[in-house]
Amino acid sequence: MSLLAARAVPSRDGASRTRRGNHNPRRRNRRIGLLFVALPLAFYAGVVLVPLAQSFQYSFYSWDGVSRATWVGLDNYVTFFTDPVLQSTLGHVLVLICFFSLLPIALGLLSTALITRRRLAGMAIFRFVYFLPQVLTSVVVALVFKRIYSPDGALNTLLRSVGLDALTRSWLGDFTWALPALGLIGTWVTFGFCMVLFISGVSSIPTELYEAARVDGAGPVREFFAVTLPGLRAQIAVALTLTITGALRTFDLVWVTTGGGPGTATLTPAVALYRAAFVNPQVGKAAAIGIVMAVLCLVIALTIQRFAERD
Amino acid sequence: MRKLQTGRRAVAMATIVTALLAAAGCAPGGSGPATSAAPGSVSTDVAGAGKVTLKMSDFWGGSEQEWIKGMIAKFQTKYPNVTIERTQEDWGQLISTLNLQLAEADGPDIATANNGWQSLGTLAKGNLVLNLDEYSKAYGWDKLIPSTIARQNEFTTDFKTIGSGSLFATPVARVSLIGIYYNVEKLTKLGIAPPTTLAEFEAAAEKAKAAGEIPIGYGSQDAPTAVLLGLQALYADANTINNFTYGDTSVTADQAGLTKAAETVKKWNDNGWFSPHHEGINYQDAVANFLDGKGVFRFEYTGSLGLTTEQQGKFQYIQLPQASGSGTVGVGAAPAALVIASKCKHPDVAAAFLDFLMSADAAQASADNGLIPLLHSDVTIPDNQATLKTEAAGAAAIGASDGFVPYFDWTSPTMLDTLTQQMQMLYAGKTTPADLVAAVDKDRNAFLQQSK
Repeated sequence: MSLLAARAVPSRDGASRTRRGNHNPRRRNRRIGLLFVALPLAFYAGVVLVPLAQSFQYSFYSWDGVSRATWVGLDNYVTFFTDPVLQSTLGHVLVLICFFSLLPIALGLLSTALITRRRLAGMAIFRFVYFLPQVLTSVVVALVFKRIYSPDGALNTLLRSVGLDALTRSWLGDFTWALPALGLIGTWVTFGFCMVLFISGVSSIPTELYEAARVDGAGPVREFFAVTLPGLRAQIAVALTLTITGALRTFDLVWVTTGGGPGTATLTPAVALYRAAFVNPQVGKAAAIGIVMAVLCLVIALTIQRFAERD
Repeated sequence: MRKLQTGRRAVAMATIVTALLAAAGCAPGGSGPATSAAPGSVSTDVAGAGKVTLKMSDFWGGSEQEWIKGMIAKFQTKYPNVTIERTQEDWGQLISTLNLQLAEADGPDIATANNGWQSLGTLAKGNLVLNLDEYSKAYGWDKLIPSTIARQNEFTTDFKTIGSGSLFATPVARVSLIGIYYNVEKLTKLGIAPPTTLAEFEAAAEKAKAAGEIPIGYGSQDAPTAVLLGLQALYADANTINNFTYGDTSVTADQAGLTKAAETVKKWNDNGWFSPHHEGINYQDAVANFLDGKGVFRFEYTGSLGLTTEQQGKFQYIQLPQASGSGTVGVGAAPAALVIASKCKHPDVAAAFLDFLMSADAAQASADNGLIPLLHSDVTIPDNQATLKTEAAGAAAIGASDGFVPYFDWTSPTMLDTLTQQMQMLYAGKTTPADLVAAVDKDRNAFLQQSK
């Protein structure tokens, strides 16, 4: 049955309503709709909702994944918020949010403002080059940067060649620098994405607004804050949601480069979750971390949505 | 607004459903602790078992893979009615999914597990693998396997203690040790004789440093523990370390030699004896650097250097005696714990294969493949395996003192993480040897407390 046929139903039905009054076309329509989504919905329930409910259940148990679990109530959650190591992972995520989200968005806005002021030749190439990191597999990116940051890697070689030997270090092995070093990889990856998103957003801002601003004597800075920035509100909300939840979920980058080390200096909740679930059998703790992360992601997404939609 | 309401209703529904699930008390997991995993009657008759196909999953690659392939071929020749289908998986992949695989109806019949609580202990507790006591009696494994090695596969049937009780896995006729490798050419050039005591080793390292060499090839980014555990075995006797690992609460990490080991490691680091910038060097690079001639000595697990026939003899192995001077204690274990799945339909045949992997044939095949043989002394080591000769001598020295100690990280599921993190902090000056040891004790006690 095609969509068109389904749409055709109410009019025909509407005509015969007087005779068979109990057949509400809207209700019938909805039933047909339900029929259509039943299969996908069952699938969604099977692969998303059921595991979600299971994780939620596991999070109240101490369980090694094999033998019988014991009920521990909220212990796993209490551990997450009191264990100093697990607590520190939240701090690390805050740092990563700066690098994965705020910095790329700021840079993306800046470059958008610069690029869109005048039509440049080779714009497509610019976009392509900046967007490229987004296309690369994250493990490949991580491996490349692992080389760049290694003691004899490109970064240290560069520093040495300009006489900055004092600054060279094992970037990923240094307690202070490992996290920012990882963060900058994220900035490199997400910057292009933000920029492309914003450029496409700017193209939908009516040019009259810019003309009006110029007529009113606005300079480039004023123009940016008065026209471009408000016009990009929806795009910024999308970028914020995607990049912040991305930062919260950071796993592959850390796992491949530092594994959470040195010490626990780059441990993220996702890495802690993986360890608890698959390396050390503490499934309940892993589930609790997962639930907390899911709730955080949801809260952040809803908050951003609310701000973006407010006029 | 309407959309919002239905959304809220859905959330409320989901919450209620999950809350009900949780409250219904249907705890996840199996049917409680295993009590009778041991098969009732066992038979050592393989030829009479009819046509049997067994599935095996292991994590052996390289020359270990050659060894197991050869052993399977020999077993199938000996018993034409048996087919063994082998699957090779990456180590981490297999260890992290073994509990799921063994629970599958068509999962492996025989598998390589890792010793300790994370892997073997969890599988035994979950009733996923067979209790092998009856087979041990039938085949005389209790006489064949040295007690310090057998303990590594034992758990009490209440699953509160590791290192005693029933046998849940078997070793193979091979062993893996932690010891010191040295670059023969460099040592000769420096005019140093291979050290035979810890004091001589330190003197050699000092001399190498003075000559501008890297005394100890090292990387601490992801796997820093071999040097600490290698040293620990020099400072405490085998019994104490064994008892600590197996959860005897009357023994502390300090008594198990860990404080002295941590102090020594810190001293060596402060002396600059490790590879420069080792905090940024990962394990693979550290191995490659050492093979490349960067470093005179290296603490390493045997078999991990992956020496080619050409490299055999260029790197030789030292198993230092105890710092006190009497006897040799060393970290050593079979390279895997072989388990039989509880679901296996032909456990008798599977057990016969495990027995075959501990035979004199298996030990000889091990030496022929460049791997250190165990369990049998009458093994001929081929002349072109110069490195293996020194490694086998190390194993023999430990065997003579019955001085095998298990990998320290079997103490608790989180011990390897704790050790790795603490050592990295030690090098960065963020912790002291005493605090490192305290963290180790804390980790172990938390685990013992929780498993009570």
